Amino acid sequence: MELKLVHFYPDLMSLYGSYANVSVLRRYLSALGHTVTVQAVAPGEGADISGADFLFMGAGTERAQRFAAGDFAQYGPAVKAAAEDGCAMLFAGTAMELLGASVTTKDGETFDGIGLAGFTTAQGSRRIVGDVYGATDLFPEAVIGFMNKCGQIRGVETPLLTSLALGYGNEAEKGPEGFHWKNVFASELTGPILVKNPRLLEAVAAAILARRGTQLPEEAATDPYAEAGYAITAEQLRLRAEAGK
Amino acid sequence: MKKFLAIAVCKLGRAVGKLVGKGSSMPGKFALKICPDILSRIQLPSHIIAVTGSNGKTSTVEMIAAILRAGGKTVVYNEEGSNQIEGVTTLVLTHATMSGRVRADVLLIESDERYAAQSFRYFHPTEFVITNLYRDQLTRNGHPEWVYDAILPALSPETELILNADDPLSSCFAQGHDKVKWFGLDRCSFDTDAPAGVYHDGAYCPVCRAPMEYDYVHYNHIGAFRCTKCGHRKPATDYTATALDLERGTLTIDGTITIQLAFRSIYNVYNILAAYAACRCVGVAADTAAGVINNYILKNGRMQKFTLGAHRGMLLTSKHENSIAYDTNLRYIRAAQAPCTVLVIVDAVSRKYFTSETSWLWDIDFNLLNAPQVERVILSGQYSNDLAERFSFTDIPREKITVQADIPAAAAELKAAGSENVYVVTCFSDRDKILSQVVKEA
Repeated sequence: MELKLVHFYPDLMSLYGSYANVSVLRRYLSALGHTVTVQAVAPGEGADISGADFLFMGAGTERAQRFAAGDFAQYGPAVKAAAEDGCAMLFAGTAMELLGASVTTKDGETFDGIGLAGFTTAQGSRRIVGDVYGATDLFPEAVIGFMNKCGQIRGVETPLLTSLALGYGNEAEKGPEGFHWKNVFASELTGPILVKNPRLLEAVAAAILARRGTQLPEEAATDPYAEAGYAITAEQLRLRAEAGK
Repeated sequence: MKKFLAIAVCKLGRAVGKLVGKGSSMPGKFALKICPDILSRIQLPSHIIAVTGSNGKTSTVEMIAAILRAGGKTVVYNEEGSNQIEGVTTLVLTHATMSGRVRADVLLIESDERYAAQSFRYFHPTEFVITNLYRDQLTRNGHPEWVYDAILPALSPETELILNADDPLSSCFAQGHDKVKWFGLDRCSFDTDAPAGVYHDGAYCPVCRAPMEYDYVHYNHIGAFRCTKCGHRKPATDYTATALDLERGTLTIDGTITIQLAFRSIYNVYNILAAYAACRCVGVAADTAAGVINNYILKNGRMQKFTLGAHRGMLLTSKHENSIAYDTNLRYIRAAQAPCTVLVIVDAVSRKYFTSETSWLWDIDFNLLNAPQVERVILSGQYSNDLAERFSFTDIPREKITVQADIPAAAAELKAAGSENVYVVTCFSDRDKILSQVVKEA
């Protein structure tokens, strides 16, 4: 079938290799025999995102995020309606903050998110960086990633990672991280989290296909390098998490 | 009294430290405990040159020191690269008299970009060189704008800023600052019309976020940028590379001075320009500067030639977590004519512990290795799977790519067969793992 992925602001919100989430999802779905198109949306273009099977926005600097928020506001109603309808989406890094009610910058200015969820973000002058090793309800394997943010996110009721053995979550060390509701996935874990976590890639792909009335084949081919890379990293982070107990 | 004690403790600590081979930040740390504002109580030289930025700090500082000394000036600088406030304190106090006067014409400081504001709280540089601001070590630095905000408080209105006219972000430091001198590179034969690379940090204006345009691009997003809305653009330069031929290795500065490049990389050109500008600002003659830069070979050389079996090889040191450093070396390989094998090693990203932070691999334009003369690419080190996954998204034919996690095994396989050139691309932190397997050339 034909699948349409929408990538918001690929040049503006482009930190930490965020784009690779779209690249790997496109390749994965194509390998299943689907025809995948990616629509890039630039600020100011007023794009039509109807018919999208997946929405994505990656991490940007706080100033880029502030600018993106101004443009993204026009898509708020459409994004919320799509989410309600079960459309899959991933908002990574600072893009996650735009799904909430508001973002307060380190200079004290507050601007609105699209209000898909009620959480709020307070950015500070301290950079929160470090590896993350956590658990999700989506699958039994651990989720691995790296946190690089300056925002504390409060009021998330349905996190993506329910607990962390290592690293910083939405608002606390080893606290829950990210946001997950229906098929909306959001996480401040930076970079290509769908490349690093093959199970998360499958979960997102399954969500996309489920809305179109189909499912992943039982024996979907896995990517040996992605699996091997995940195994090494997961083992190393698990050891660090245990050593830190 | 506290001042005297702090100086004495620092000098003593430094002397003992040198005997036992310890680093140079501890004595300064003790001195700061005794007298926290010690740096404001020292009589400093009339010129204090600071150098910061993402790439090229150490090379630029080294060249500035050599030029100044050739110009007859005495220079004190942090050769060991301890570039946070403790190291700067050690440097200053070690070279001070017991009454607190630094006996030199110029104090030259390589400053860590994140800690510059702390280092220059008690005194400020007379000249401040900012080489560039790129994506670099984001695990520590967050992102380039975060580093920009960290440097900004370190800049005193009285300081002469020496800025890179071709870098859209670090050139913003000139906003609202009266004293600025610019260095930059005019249009060159190898320029492109639009930014290149995996990401486009030149796509939007760092001031107003409107789209930017370029008259020419030297590499990545570095070149003659121009905001379509707010007027932020490459300024007219005071110190200019007016002609550059990387193939012949010749560089002309300000239309009058032509020098031979020992290292034919555009990186080297920017470091030379920054050093030249700084030295001219403190009164060194153009000829003196040119004499030193001509065929100047850096002590911290980032290229190492070697042999491995019948192969002739070159190690191109590229900082991990720094995609522009990698891209520069990949372009160097792409420009080579003879058939070659490229060995990419990522074994340790952090010196302290294993980290999952590999996002920088996705910022590197590995597709540059999709060239006919690159016959084979070998991926090695603990992160060889992550590399292989990254390479699977390039256009390089799969049959050219080999994965061998074990570095000595990768070297042994290379040694056993073939005689094509070998390029090794890896970081300072990983390079001894391959250099121990080869015969280094002097």
